[in-house]
Amino acid sequence: MKAKNFLAGMMWPLLSGAFGLALWEGLVKGFGVPVFLLPAPTDVAETIVAKWSYLLSQLAITVMAAGLGLIMSVALGLVAGAAIAGSRLVDRLLTPWLVVAHAIPKVVIAPLFLVWFGFGLQSEMFFVVAFTFFPVIVNTVTGLKSADPEQLLMVRAMGASRLQVLHKIQFPNALPSICAGIKLAVSLAPVGAVIGEFVASNAGLGHLLIRAVGDTDTSLAFAAVTVFSIFGVLLWRAAEWVERLVLPWHPSQRETLMLRDATT
Amino acid sequence: MAGGAIRLERVEKTYGGAGGVQAIAPLSVEMRAGEAVSIVGPSGCGKSTLMRLIAGLDAPTRGTISIGSTPVDGPVPDIGIVFQRDLLLEWRSVMGNVMLPAEIKRQAGLETRAGELLKELDVAGFAGAYPWQLSGGMRQRVAIARALLTKPALLFLDEPFSALDALTRDQMNVLLQRLQTTQQVTTLLITHSIAEAIFCADRVLVMSGRPGAILDDIRVPFERPRRLAVRETPEFTAIGRRIREHFEKAGVLVG
Repeated sequence: MKAKNFLAGMMWPLLSGAFGLALWEGLVKGFGVPVFLLPAPTDVAETIVAKWSYLLSQLAITVMAAGLGLIMSVALGLVAGAAIAGSRLVDRLLTPWLVVAHAIPKVVIAPLFLVWFGFGLQSEMFFVVAFTFFPVIVNTVTGLKSADPEQLLMVRAMGASRLQVLHKIQFPNALPSICAGIKLAVSLAPVGAVIGEFVASNAGLGHLLIRAVGDTDTSLAFAAVTVFSIFGVLLWRAAEWVERLVLPWHPSQRETLMLRDATT
Repeated sequence: MAGGAIRLERVEKTYGGAGGVQAIAPLSVEMRAGEAVSIVGPSGCGKSTLMRLIAGLDAPTRGTISIGSTPVDGPVPDIGIVFQRDLLLEWRSVMGNVMLPAEIKRQAGLETRAGELLKELDVAGFAGAYPWQLSGGMRQRVAIARALLTKPALLFLDEPFSALDALTRDQMNVLLQRLQTTQQVTTLLITHSIAEAIFCADRVLVMSGRPGAILDDIRVPFERPRRLAVRETPEFTAIGRRIREHFEKAGVLVG
């Protein structure tokens, strides 16, 4: 039953995708558009197959920068978020800085990272942090502050220490919100890594893309974009999967269950 | 259980400093260990304030409170509290919720007791379920099991059944009354329901509107275990009438 539903659910997006690709192929071939201007899907596919291992090796570099930056961003976001939620003084001192830092257009300051951290992975990584820390902090603070006051009173009456209140009530209560923040960061991290590579790296998909465009190897550029997009979708899926694992009790998970039940 | 006796001496609570709102007028009362006491009164009469004071969650403006021979000057850990809302943690299973006080007080080996309590409260089959899978009455049973886990000397119930439907509420009254016998815990029940106050207690304290003061202190003579039918006896009705007349005199009830 489930497999059948899954196939039925996939049918329309697949059909629509196939139609779009066929149209693109037909137009490019029919009008004789040169490959350097717009490659046909088959050209892109050919490039992906031919340069498979090269593309993967460049993707690995981007993934590394995005991953390391993301880990740092989440760690920073959780610690700073907890500090802001836990102390009014920290909140007052730190929050204005965060808001200003977030308001600065990241792409504009990307070249500065080259100055500060040099050429390569380090620069990229910190750029990813700058690109992704905000949603993690904001959602952590909101989540930690939204604990039920009566539940807090209840555990206080049980004699809970401040750390226990954080560990037993505030953190689990904040987890759905933290997950939402991390998911946003997950979707932003690869973009941050690629922009970092545009500016401050001689490797990775971002660098590959810049070079391919410079060489008017448009097929390769499209291949890089395709690989990058597939990676983005997979990363998002992985984040959703982890979220489901961490929050089995959450209404959002219940709803999917019920909807699924309703369609079977 | 020894140590469960509560003594309040000229306890007074005013919010917002001098000239603020007086929640409780000077009030003295004593409860014996193992006694089941109900407090009944109109909304805003300071019943919940009184409970917070006794639990050490709030300090009285004047007067002293002691439990056993110890004066209350901070949160009292030897108290189990059941609130109006069940306050179950949605991310924990029923068993996880019941075990919460043991984790916070770092007491090991209470799993067996948790299981026994769930059984006594007729929710043993749901130990692994999440709170959202339970009905309102079942959730409140779990909250009661949680409050009783660490064998507290005192069980406080702050309008615990007011969100339940009438039938479930009756059932919970019978259950609470049974627990008072099996668990031998000093019980303080705060309620708006006159019938519930009488049925669940050995003694009913009638409170006036703000500032809260005790208007009457009534002994409830019925044997335990009680059946719901006791509510239809002339003695029960007489106590109910006596309480109602207090409220009518105070203008809380007009009938």
